[in-house]
Amino acid sequence: MLRVRNLSVGYGAEPVLEGIDLEVKTGEFASLIGPSGSGKTSVLRAVTRLLQPLAGRVDLDLAPNDIGFLFQDDALLPWRTARQNVALGLRIRGNAAKEAEDMADHWLGRLGLEVFGDRYPRQLSGGQRKRVAIAQVLALRPKLLLMDEPFASLDAIVRTRITQELLAWVEQEHMAVLLVTHDLEEAISVSDVVYVLSQGPRAGIRARHEIPIPRPRNLLETRRDPCFAPLLTTLWDDLSAASVTDDSAQ
Amino acid sequence: MKRLLDHTTVRRVVALLLLLAVWETASRLNWLDPFYAPAPSAIGKVLFSLFAEGQIWTHLEATFSAAILGLVAGLALGIVLGFVAALMPLLAQLIEPVMILLNAIPRVILAPLFVIWLGIELASKVALALILVAVLIFFAVYSGIKEVDQRLVERVRTLGGDRRVLIREVYVPSVTAWVMGSLKVAVGFAFTGAIVGEFVASSRGLGYLLQFAQSSYNAALTIALITLIMAFVIVLFAISEWLERRLLRWRYV
Repeated sequence: MLRVRNLSVGYGAEPVLEGIDLEVKTGEFASLIGPSGSGKTSVLRAVTRLLQPLAGRVDLDLAPNDIGFLFQDDALLPWRTARQNVALGLRIRGNAAKEAEDMADHWLGRLGLEVFGDRYPRQLSGGQRKRVAIAQVLALRPKLLLMDEPFASLDAIVRTRITQELLAWVEQEHMAVLLVTHDLEEAISVSDVVYVLSQGPRAGIRARHEIPIPRPRNLLETRRDPCFAPLLTTLWDDLSAASVTDDSAQ
Repeated sequence: MKRLLDHTTVRRVVALLLLLAVWETASRLNWLDPFYAPAPSAIGKVLFSLFAEGQIWTHLEATFSAAILGLVAGLALGIVLGFVAALMPLLAQLIEPVMILLNAIPRVILAPLFVIWLGIELASKVALALILVAVLIFFAVYSGIKEVDQRLVERVRTLGGDRRVLIREVYVPSVTAWVMGSLKVAVGFAFTGAIVGEFVASSRGLGYLLQFAQSSYNAALTIALITLIMAFVIVLFAISEWLERRLLRWRYV
């Protein structure tokens, strides 16, 4: 579904990322982890054409409209209500205003926000805004979902609850996902495969690990799976080695 | 009483009434020279007679026409030029230096030129009000677009929005917030343009009346006219605020 080949991305002459190869298959949940500043977000921005690569290619077996992007910030339009925000993408894709708002209400309802449709983003809590952002993306029924540490700003309980809801939805819809995170436990809990980035600049894929925990998954129960602790140790060692190598290089 | 005084508006009104009472008392006790500082009651009488005799209406009409026409035209021109400059970099190279130059000078110095070009009637006053407002609004719109939240732009782009959608959903609402923030200043500028234009050369208008009051050393008429202009501007400020609360409802909920 998504193949990234020899991708180099930078904000100037020097690449932040270099020679990135990764693949996300249909129905596969992939995570990209790495130290801060390794350019994790840049991979997603290159996939969505928000950033022009310096070299390499991004191949997609789907139309641009089949990609959903969940940002780190909820980035809702402050002058639109929750319903209007969710309906926005639907209207852009050709749905009539009334139809789009009905669909928006349906999706807000699915995410437990049925009574908040008329509220503006500033009237919602952080968790509620995040749910609206999720509804906005899921309403478009993407086949590939890109997520950039979408729940980093939430407290642990809300974060776990929303991640679990989203995970259930992704499994049910057989959606492909590429998640950027620096939370190793989260990466193992939700993913089928985890890519580890080295420290930038010129960061590259340092390792790729398959996660053999069966689906459907429960976030809390995955931590009790026998392979969880060894995988966590492996990922931790990978990340530590990347940082040490870079520190010594500097 | 104490609870009533806790209210800001009540406190302001009480302070104003106290000032007027002190002023009136000082005048009646001959502590103030009525030639320079006539009593509030004398100013009130002048104001009353201006309306009772009906001579004020033609002057009000002239000033209001110039200010409102200048305000509307200035808003329209500032918004259009701001959008064009922000979204078309090539045209920005032409428009921005002119606007920076106009912003750097006290624009009222253009009044004599407008009189030479457009005559002493309404057009020269409208032109001055327009140029004062347009430059202010241009920078509000231009900055509004340049400093628009890029996260919102990217969000709409990833939802599939093209340039037209971006303008409608992101740029216009974002710029509206900036323009509404400048609207009160624009109202003040529009009246400044109209009245200064009337000072320079005119046959009617509040600026013309002020000029007459000053040349005849009529302090009561001068203060009465200043009070009148202040009252109208306060009303227009209130209308601007009401408009801002309606258009930017999302900010006040």
